Amino acid sequence: MSISWPLVIFYVIALLTLCCAVLMLSFRKVIYMALTIGGVFVGCAAVYFLLGADFVGVAQILIYAGAITILIMFAIMLTNHEAAEPPLSWNLKNVASAVGCVLLAVVLLLAVRSTNWPGGGATTDINGGNTNPIVIGLMLFKQYTIPFELVSVLLIVALVGAVILAQDRKEDE
Amino acid sequence: MAPANFPIPTGSLLALGVLLFCIGLYGALTKRNLIIVLVSIELMLNAANINLVTFSRLGVAPSLSGQVFSLFTITVAAAEIAVGLALLIAVFRLRRTSEVQDLNVHKW
Amino acid sequence: MVQYAWLVPLLPLVAYVFLLFLGRKAPEGIVAGVSVVLTAISFVISLFVFQAVGSHPNGNDTYVFHWLTVGSRNFDVGFQVTHLNALMLVIVTLVSALVLLFSKGYMHRDERFPVFYQYLNLFVFSMLALVLSPNLLQLYIFWEMVGLCSYLLVGFWYFKPEAALAAKKSFIVTRIGDTGMFAGIILLFLASGSFDYSTIFSAATAGTLSFHGMSSGTVATVAALLIFMGAVGKSAQFPLHIWLPDAMEGPTPVSALIHAATMVAAGVYLVARAYPLFVSAPAALHTVAWIGGITALLASLIALTQRDIKRVIAYSTVSQLGYMMMALGVGAYAYGVFHLMTHAFFKALLFLAAGSVIHALDTQDLFEMGGLRRKMPLTTYTFLAGALALAGIVPFAGFWSKDDILGATLASGHPVLYAFGLLAAFCTAFYIFRVFFLAFTGQPRDEAKYEHAHEGGWVMAVPLVILAAFATLAGFFNTPLNHHGLERYLFADYAAPHSAAGTDVVATIGQTYPENIGLMAVSVAVGLFGILVAALFYWRPGKGAERAARMFSLPYQVSFHKFFVDEAYEWFFVGGGKRLAALVRWFDVYVLDGLVQLLGRLGSVGGRLLRFSQTGQIQTYSAWATVGLLVFVAIAVFRIGGVFG
Repeated sequence: MSISWPLVIFYVIALLTLCCAVLMLSFRKVIYMALTIGGVFVGCAAVYFLLGADFVGVAQILIYAGAITILIMFAIMLTNHEAAEPPLSWNLKNVASAVGCVLLAVVLLLAVRSTNWPGGGATTDINGGNTNPIVIGLMLFKQYTIPFELVSVLLIVALVGAVILAQDRKEDE
Repeated sequence: MAPANFPIPTGSLLALGVLLFCIGLYGALTKRNLIIVLVSIELMLNAANINLVTFSRLGVAPSLSGQVFSLFTITVAAAEIAVGLALLIAVFRLRRTSEVQDLNVHKW
Repeated sequence: MVQYAWLVPLLPLVAYVFLLFLGRKAPEGIVAGVSVVLTAISFVISLFVFQAVGSHPNGNDTYVFHWLTVGSRNFDVGFQVTHLNALMLVIVTLVSALVLLFSKGYMHRDERFPVFYQYLNLFVFSMLALVLSPNLLQLYIFWEMVGLCSYLLVGFWYFKPEAALAAKKSFIVTRIGDTGMFAGIILLFLASGSFDYSTIFSAATAGTLSFHGMSSGTVATVAALLIFMGAVGKSAQFPLHIWLPDAMEGPTPVSALIHAATMVAAGVYLVARAYPLFVSAPAALHTVAWIGGITALLASLIALTQRDIKRVIAYSTVSQLGYMMMALGVGAYAYGVFHLMTHAFFKALLFLAAGSVIHALDTQDLFEMGGLRRKMPLTTYTFLAGALALAGIVPFAGFWSKDDILGATLASGHPVLYAFGLLAAFCTAFYIFRVFFLAFTGQPRDEAKYEHAHEGGWVMAVPLVILAAFATLAGFFNTPLNHHGLERYLFADYAAPHSAAGTDVVATIGQTYPENIGLMAVSVAVGLFGILVAALFYWRPGKGAERAARMFSLPYQVSFHKFFVDEAYEWFFVGGGKRLAALVRWFDVYVLDGLVQLLGRLGSVGGRLLRFSQTGQIQTYSAWATVGLLVFVAIAVFRIGGVFG
């Protein structure tokens, strides 16, 4: 049986992504955490590419790995950039959270494992013969016009809201 | 002979999503820095996106809708993080802290 | 002439409105003059109507116009003139005009003189409209209006606490009866589909009243009893008689007009008006007879010992109204109405004479009077005429009517009621002459008051004289000497072309009772005996009365305290109500409030405990949410199955 390269690559990427995620949780300094999350975002983008979702992958890199990571960095700098997490304390809340998360993961993984998923077909083409970005663009402007416009409104509102929230209001003091 | 399947099994992709989600959840529940909590939430959103894209290719009825949906999710997440960080800065300016535990004005 | 009968109530209404516009500062002369003149014109018109109805017994006598339509029901208003109505119009307008004249003297220099006349005119209007009403609904409206006027006039001197209390008492006690009456009217409406007398009567006598499967006779009995409740309240019959003596707190002309001659007679009038209904319900008729008989006896016994001159006459009124009810109850329709008429005259006379005495002496206590015969001869002799009429001495008015009633009672087979009536007649003669001897003969008991006693001027003298003439002569309207003119007049209401009632009912109503000379002699003898006893006790100041009172201490006290009816009501209804209220309050405070408090405490304690779950830590909340999510996911996965096995 020949080695399926996409499968190997997927497992490597998945492993790296999970490592980054775990590292993020185990670092103490906030700035390192922000860096590792960038790794997770890039890993996700790679998975998207593997699945043939080129446009989403690019968007993931641009928005998450680029914009959001940088934004988080800025936020850290603007607030308390020396901030560090205290050493892990085994208090009730943390233990309960950990147990809850692990149990949830176990239940979900069991459910995933016991379900008979469709194979997907090696040659299935969901792009209808075009390249992925073209088809996505067509869909966004035909089928999903209204949600698309609504999202743009949402972005504007979020932008203005963020500016207003973050600006220094002297008169409040 | 059954038709050849996609090389990556669906279950593995979903498992990746599950693990990322639970890691994000744990982070959101336990981390003390507000920024990290926000980041953990982004992690959970990413896990959801992985599921969406997976089913867009490997679902019962493969279509591009899943990808479009994940695009919307990414956009909303971007808006969310922008507002969240702005709030964070406003709170920091007011309270001189970015720790979750210190934000307890609603305590009894 | 009959079609102008609406003018009769209209003129007092005009007077009322006119006085309203004149206001409270109007001069007494104009106020009284307008009222008396307009009411006198009403009286003249009434006389014409009376005569016209008598001479054209077959004329169409109902004048109605359509008022409103509710669903498929039509309601009419208008007026109806029957022989009974016409007689009532004459009585009411005559007594009203005289009382209005008398009030000019009695209420002289009262601060609210014009207001008094406004109320009186409104009352006269309401009473006349009540009499003319062609249906029960209209009757009920004016029935309440006369009640309202009575309330206003009893409480006319509202700054006296007793007057205010008496006004309230009269209104409330009457309301008890009115509630029953209203229920009866509604029952009749539902059972017959109309408020009109004629429709109801024909349905009652034909036996076609129907209400939820009750037989026609049952409906008629229940409705008649309910309507009789209203009559009991208005005519102060036992057990609702208690308001009338207290109503004597009002000015005396009011007592004469409302609480002797007209309004209290409205109850009797109502029973007479609805007579075909009562005749088709024999049980109700028996109730009327017994209530009347009991009231007549009880009230006359109470009147024996009262010290207040007006209260004696008030109990006398109750007693005489009892006679009328008894007459109607035993089937002597015409005699009841006849007694209503004679009583209106002689009782108004007695009240006005008493008012003249009160006006002169400024007291109502019999034991502060005495010897007034020398100072007030006119009042004395008119009062004597009224007293003789009340006592039933030949040939005064009361003799004819009362004797007719007693004779009819015995002839219709009610010996017990006859005995009641005869005993009441003795008491009547005794108490009224007790008043007469105490007030007008002997020596003055209070010299200061006696000194400034005087007659009240012509405005007070004229009504007394006129009423005294009627009290003496009115009996001759219905004697064998004129072949029972009044009876024939009244029975014409039920003569063939008019009557909506069945023939057997007409026969019952139209039944006459022959004169019985023996019974007449007995009545007169009883009356004279009563006067004799009163004379023995009270003619000369002596100890006889007090000795008798001591000898019969128990009966004396029972009578003096009005058979403790007020006290019984006080104990039973007021006290019972208070005890019930206390019980309910206890239940409310300790059980209901306790439950509510318990619930509140539970909520409060629970909230205080649950408060500690609010740590203010967003991550704690999220952790709980995660636990919830876990539980739901686990349940969902387990139910789908195949995961854990």
